Amino acid sequence: MNAASTTVTLSATCRNCSAPTNGALFCPSCGKIQPLPRGADYFSFLGLPQKLTLDLDTLEQRFHSLSWKLHPDHFVRATEEEKQLSLDLSSQLNDAYRTLRDPVARVEYLLSLSGMRKEGQKKQQAPPELLEEVFELNESLDELREARDSGGSPEQMQGLRAKLESAQHKFESSLADVDQELAGVGKDWDAAIDSAADEAAGKKLMERMNEVLNRRSYIRNLVNGVRQELAVT
Amino acid sequence: MPRTVGIDLGTTYSLIAYQDKREARPKCIPGPYGTPLCPSVVSVDADGSIIVGQAAQRRLLTQPERTIYSVKRLMGRGPADVQDELKIFPFRIDPASKNVIRVRLGERVFTPPEISAFILRELKSWAENYFQDSVSRAVITVPAYFNDAQRQATRDAGRLAGLEVLRLVNEPTAAALAYGLHEQKRGKVAVYDFGGGTFDISILKLISTSDGDIYQVLSTNGDTHLGGDDIDNALQSLAREEIRGLGVDLAAHPDTVQELRKALIAAKHELSDADKTAIKFPLPDGNVYFREISRAEYERLIRPIVDRTMGPVRQALADAKLKPAEIEEVVLVGGSTRVPLVRQTVEQFFGRKPHAELNPDEVVALGAAVQADILEGGVNDMLLLDVTPLSLGIETMGGVVAKIIPRNSTVPASAQELFTTGVENQTGIDIHVLQGERELAKDCRSLARFQLKVPPGPAGLARIEVKFLIDASGILQVSASDLRAGTEHSIEVQPTYGLDDAEVERMLEESIEFAEQDFSERQLIEARNEAESVLTLTERALAREKSEAPGELPEEERRSVEDAVVALRESLAGTDYKRVRALTDVLNQASTPLAERMMNRALATALEGKKLGEV
Repeated sequence: MNAASTTVTLSATCRNCSAPTNGALFCPSCGKIQPLPRGADYFSFLGLPQKLTLDLDTLEQRFHSLSWKLHPDHFVRATEEEKQLSLDLSSQLNDAYRTLRDPVARVEYLLSLSGMRKEGQKKQQAPPELLEEVFELNESLDELREARDSGGSPEQMQGLRAKLESAQHKFESSLADVDQELAGVGKDWDAAIDSAADEAAGKKLMERMNEVLNRRSYIRNLVNGVRQELAVT
Repeated sequence: MPRTVGIDLGTTYSLIAYQDKREARPKCIPGPYGTPLCPSVVSVDADGSIIVGQAAQRRLLTQPERTIYSVKRLMGRGPADVQDELKIFPFRIDPASKNVIRVRLGERVFTPPEISAFILRELKSWAENYFQDSVSRAVITVPAYFNDAQRQATRDAGRLAGLEVLRLVNEPTAAALAYGLHEQKRGKVAVYDFGGGTFDISILKLISTSDGDIYQVLSTNGDTHLGGDDIDNALQSLAREEIRGLGVDLAAHPDTVQELRKALIAAKHELSDADKTAIKFPLPDGNVYFREISRAEYERLIRPIVDRTMGPVRQALADAKLKPAEIEEVVLVGGSTRVPLVRQTVEQFFGRKPHAELNPDEVVALGAAVQADILEGGVNDMLLLDVTPLSLGIETMGGVVAKIIPRNSTVPASAQELFTTGVENQTGIDIHVLQGERELAKDCRSLARFQLKVPPGPAGLARIEVKFLIDASGILQVSASDLRAGTEHSIEVQPTYGLDDAEVERMLEESIEFAEQDFSERQLIEARNEAESVLTLTERALAREKSEAPGELPEEERRSVEDAVVALRESLAGTDYKRVRALTDVLNQASTPLAERMMNRALATALEGKKLGEV
């Protein structure tokens, strides 16, 4: 399977000595820092395959080892061009690490690489299996706001609070379920890469991931909303 | 090779430190008084000369309208931001101040970066005396929770002081560097940094790798307007309220307010060791404000201030996804961590005894010196990975902020955003950059606005990519490229609060008049200034003694004071600064019994007619 569009250009030459660099970050001939090769992505930058299950310790080690090489601290006496390259590369390294260590951002990034991340057109629409709960939640929220505005009794507020808290738990567990589901599709994706499955199969998996991400974002907004409402009550 | 120094530009004190390659540890460079602590106080003399440090601190009492302290509180802020501060601090803000505050000192007006530059210049001269060589490169520390405008203001101050600022380093991170070097510890560390005007908490992970030691900041939080100053202000409100009860309103006596502040700070320091202390303060009407305060009462008074530090502590831990018990070491930094209630509160929260072996006043400057050495290439087995304390965002439809770089991202960090036109023949796209955690632009800190110019055309045709980059000092850089044309797109970013490049350039030119004076000339000016202020205080005391207790001063004592005054005055006509200094010391010593006598008499008057039990 052709996972996304990563063809790293290996024909680059060193900016300093014109020797071929073979896409290395430091010229094999003169040792000077080079720009990130065209077509490189966060995965290839960190020396990882485009898989969704990854070992966080390995990721951290790669991040640290590259930080040593690229950090602006080590380019204080370098030329302006080298300083700028160090700044660009280390900022991209930090962005890559921040994205890949987070399982959700990792999936979003993978999809964005092949233009497959599409936010839901109907963001406001609840997933069918949650329709009833969302309806109930909105009712409780209305009641709560009304009670707050008209100065509801402590017992009434207490009751509404309890209702909201139970809704919060429910949606938090839905969120955990969705995260599980996302990890599951991720494993399928990794297996497809290992077995060199065809492009159509890859595309299908990406569509599924995109759908799970949209559902996740809906539920996460719900959880945040309830949390905020509880914080001011 | 030029030396790179580390500078802690503090609210109350500033220090300069250096790592000598031949030595294992960095050290702080002492000033002319033997201490490395330079009070962050600046005073402008009637002849326009600038006085910094100990001598300026004394002028807080004699010339409060020409003298400023705690200027760090004003860095990177606009006039509207500091209204609360003005109720407590005697800042004289120029009414014409717009996006940058201008402070009036005597006849002149200065921006906070210019005033901070005077402090940096003073420290630079300490180092130059010490090395007998020029110093032009520095690492300067800032509170971790400083926003972009506050960082830029600090960098401008460095430039105005004639320093190339290689890096701004967060104060708790600098402390961790000094601490890590000292203790050789690994693991998760919390640095609780409670200074004169700012509070920071940083959570770090200290890791050994095959390349060397990495100090990785996991999260940071804080309050850039919370510090020992607030404790002083709480004591001051209490005292002024009680003094008003005695029928005296100190608002009409600015110099007395400064003397009271000094007395209260002394009481605060005593309460760090003693269970109780007494404040004895002579009032302008001849009475004395006498007040005993116990540690328990003091702690009740300041507990709300100490508790305010715990919100940021909890948030930083939550952001690092850690529980208090997972922190292996807690390090205390900053003068306010000498307060026992602060230590107890921190110890209780983390369930372990915090480290305070390193001098909390010096540790930040020492860490800055270590970072300076790393940048010079002296140390190559240590690497610092810091974070940005606040989320960066841009304003979108309806005044909502879209976050593009989340807080606690390792710096350098970047984000690219693609912009296009919304209507036909639109010629510009307005961009508003903000920092903060709130949802709406009006609740976040405005950093800058700029407009992307585009050629007229159909809506959606233009494709301008804007790159936001936060560098290793935590300062934002913005660049843009036109994707359709494949060219760089020039933009002019106007800072919301701060000086633009042209203003800094102009100030640099103006500052030449303050520039490098000859070493001995500078010493002479300082010695003269100090002598003048001691003379003023002594003459004032003599006059008061004469009017309040005529004939009581023993002839011998009076003569020795007067002789010292005459000798010092004579020396002021000459140019030997050492002689002026020595005679200032003589006068100081000669007048000490006089000062004690006055204090005792004032106290006796106040206690007159009261039984012992009422005291």
